[in-house]
Amino acid sequence: MTSAAFRTRIGLGAAAGVAVALIALAPLSGSTPKFFDDDPIARVPESQDASGVEEWDIDLFYDLMYNSFATPRTIKTGWRAENLNSIDEVPDSSWFTNRILARPLSAEQLLQGANTGADTVLKGVKLTIIKPKAVGAAPGAIVRGPGGETWFISFDPPCCPEAASGSIMVASRLFWALGYWQAEQFLATVREEDFVIAPDAIIKPPSGRKRPMERSDLQALLRRVHRYEDGTYRIAASKLLPGKVLGGFRYHGTRPDDPNDIVPHEHRRELRALKVFGAWTNLTDMKAGNTIDTLVTDERGRKTVRHWLQDVGSTFGIGANGPHDPWEGWEPFYPGGVAWKRIYSLGFYLSPWQTANYEKHESIGIFEGEKFDPETWHPRTLPGAFLAARDDDNFWAARRVVAFTDEMIRAVVKAAHFSDPAAEKLMADVLIARRDKIGRAYLPKINPIVDVALDPSGVLTFANAAVDARAAEAPKGGYHAEWAAFDNATGQTRALGPGTSATALRMPAPSGLPTADGTYIRVALSAVTPAVGSWARPVHAYFKRTAGSWKLVGFERLPEQEARDGTS
Amino acid sequence: MLLPRVPTLRSTPSRRRGLPPGTGRRGALLACLLTAIAAPAAGQSSRADVITQQEAAKAKKLTPPAPNKAEALVAKIQDIMLENPSGFYPYFGSVYSGGGFTLGAGYRQFRGDNTFFDIKGLYSFSNYKYIETTAATLGLADGKVNVGAHLGWRDATQVAYYGVGIDTPVADRSNYRFKQGWVSGDIVARPAWWTVFGAAVGYEDFSLESGTGSSPSIEDIFTPASAPGLGLSPKYLHSSFSAGIDTRPSPGYARRGTLIEARYHNYADQDDAVSFDQLDAEATQHIPFLRESWVLSLHGLAQMASDDVPYFLMPSLGSGSTLRAFPSWRFRDRNSLLVQAEWRWTPIPSMLDMAFFYDAGKVTHERSELDLNHLKTDFGIGVRIHSLVGTPLRIEWAKGNEGSRIVFAGSAAF
Repeated sequence: MTSAAFRTRIGLGAAAGVAVALIALAPLSGSTPKFFDDDPIARVPESQDASGVEEWDIDLFYDLMYNSFATPRTIKTGWRAENLNSIDEVPDSSWFTNRILARPLSAEQLLQGANTGADTVLKGVKLTIIKPKAVGAAPGAIVRGPGGETWFISFDPPCCPEAASGSIMVASRLFWALGYWQAEQFLATVREEDFVIAPDAIIKPPSGRKRPMERSDLQALLRRVHRYEDGTYRIAASKLLPGKVLGGFRYHGTRPDDPNDIVPHEHRRELRALKVFGAWTNLTDMKAGNTIDTLVTDERGRKTVRHWLQDVGSTFGIGANGPHDPWEGWEPFYPGGVAWKRIYSLGFYLSPWQTANYEKHESIGIFEGEKFDPETWHPRTLPGAFLAARDDDNFWAARRVVAFTDEMIRAVVKAAHFSDPAAEKLMADVLIARRDKIGRAYLPKINPIVDVALDPSGVLTFANAAVDARAAEAPKGGYHAEWAAFDNATGQTRALGPGTSATALRMPAPSGLPTADGTYIRVALSAVTPAVGSWARPVHAYFKRTAGSWKLVGFERLPEQEARDGTS
Repeated sequence: MLLPRVPTLRSTPSRRRGLPPGTGRRGALLACLLTAIAAPAAGQSSRADVITQQEAAKAKKLTPPAPNKAEALVAKIQDIMLENPSGFYPYFGSVYSGGGFTLGAGYRQFRGDNTFFDIKGLYSFSNYKYIETTAATLGLADGKVNVGAHLGWRDATQVAYYGVGIDTPVADRSNYRFKQGWVSGDIVARPAWWTVFGAAVGYEDFSLESGTGSSPSIEDIFTPASAPGLGLSPKYLHSSFSAGIDTRPSPGYARRGTLIEARYHNYADQDDAVSFDQLDAEATQHIPFLRESWVLSLHGLAQMASDDVPYFLMPSLGSGSTLRAFPSWRFRDRNSLLVQAEWRWTPIPSMLDMAFFYDAGKVTHERSELDLNHLKTDFGIGVRIHSLVGTPLRIEWAKGNEGSRIVFAGSAAF
């Protein structure tokens, strides 16, 4: 150990010692309340000025290698998500905005997604190319519209008309509805003559020697994309994100220069939830390179870093360069033990993707729901947040997936503007089939009681997310509740009566509930003789008496830290 | 985080647990965060306060983002290899079949978008040497035509020669030294994606000398009768033409597609002593099964040279890509026939293949003898690291009637 390292460790040790001493002394000056008056918070404060953040560049290859080989060994699993409010939900933040399940979404809102302009915003306009796409193999460019607005445009691969552009349109709207920051995405039809090359547009050819872009460069680009017989090209146009672009974010760790980024990304529930959302949409290319951070001025006038899922185009059955490889979505680049089994078996150890029956369509690619298994689905690499997801994270995500009705799914698929109704039907049918499998996989796995409320008269109501989604049978014995007074200062409970039971999704409280404002009660709610054993484990709902009503201030489904690797 | 969470912070992932920099620095925040959360009575009256204090604590400890050493190294290598192709680069290749492992480097300088000057050299542990300069333009005519000019020299100090014919004893191995200088130009055109045409012309100056190494030199065992052209060091005007159909995704790695190609060579000896023609016919077919989980790959190559072909340019079999259990240049004659089959499977579809293979071939004096009788054969198993377009590493074990060999190669067998 170097002397500097030694000094560092001594320093850290001393600091930790002081901190432990302070913790030990803390009870002498007052105990920590379990709930504060502002619980449950709906939005993270993000209180600090982040204007000092710097642009960074995450190396794609390093990210791929790290996620393939290092992340599986280093990510703590079983650890409860750390960005939850007191009712086990994800508050709004620069990462996430509660949309589906939190409020009704109409078909029109779904189709609109993040877009603020009309669908025809790019119809018949001249686009000035200011920079050809520099990263990735798929052709694209940054262009300026007639109003001075900036767009990133991408095309369909030669093999697959409407495929990549259609996927982007649908996926971006789904991920917007699921709560992520999404760029505005529009479809447009253009001709070569609709493009003007800006005098200062610079291209980097294979030589690496940058030079002004020429018309022949545009023609070379267009030779690599799908061209319709009438000489037109279909493009997906993504509007420039607001704010200063800072580079992508990793699915683990935190950004060291963002003061508001205090939760390791692998412990952010909305990032863990991409395991489920990714499985639903077959978002196989889950990497830092498809994310982006921008420095924005938020609605409070504060400089904060906003985190975008920038590129959700490698979804469903297609990527920017053509259909997914058959193994994509079924196993990562490096499948570990599966590879060894294939070696030993001379390839006769078969994975589901090898025998799955795909209904092929050139605009959809390889996308199916019959053999799909959400619990074994894999992106190309395994990001930290993916590996850290627990049953409660998956449950949280699955609720949002099953909240999409058939009608909503068929509505949002229309955003692709597939010319063949069969393509539209195929994508919607597969999404519906995969949605149902996700519901059956994750909703029954843990106690699925949700939406617990206690009315002023003392009637407890709740719902069963698994039963509502037709993912499980209702428990034969109904439900049982244990009631207790709760001391918010000490955390101690005192039983209120012998408990109540009901076969329906409502039950009266026992007599003797406290009536004074500011008092708390805890209800432990479980299923009786359920088909799934884990339902017998109660969820805990905490209510606070406020102005004669009961306000839900706490909800715990799996509150404890269960470190499966034994490191907690 | 949003709830008081001393347990959470206690197990904050540290650098020791393997998270990258940026995460590990959170260790330095530990005391501040613990203190902030453990003492809510000291000014924390709301959840927002708790979080705000944590954010404020981090605000005092911000560090600029920076790649760690491994990431910086990876980025640097990519910059050299991909982003900025001009400059020095490591080079791996073969000086000449049988030369063994090599070390090499190159320097490339682009002029324009796709035109470059390149010089590269190799040195093998068998003292083989190679240097070549190239000026080339790629992607002319809308990406359909590549042209190049070359000036090069190589020295292969101990090239094996066992005599002419399929029945030469292995004990008859001799060595010769082979020096070759060349200046040439070539053009390859793909007017349609599935067609390939090529033409080349070059001046090649051969110098044949006594071999080095542990085996006898060629002149100690063979005569001009048993080694046609022995004692000559011809200078050739070598021209060639080729035409074919190629539907493989990439010549360097493919699981599907077809190659059918014919190549004609004319070697015009400037002293008109050992001029000859050669016709090569090659066919490859990759047949995938079950979403390319298995691939049956078939390959055939027939080479037919005219009478005056000298011993050192005769069609030959034996090498890591022909009869793989036989040493390089094991069999030579005026004609050769090679048939190969591989049964490949894909343990890691994106990067790793394995294969059982079977090779068979013969060399003949007469073209009419090119049939499937009395073939030399071998079989084996191999593992290949591949990308979408290439096979940078192929390791194989091959067994034939003269023993077994391990093959290390930097390209696909066919």
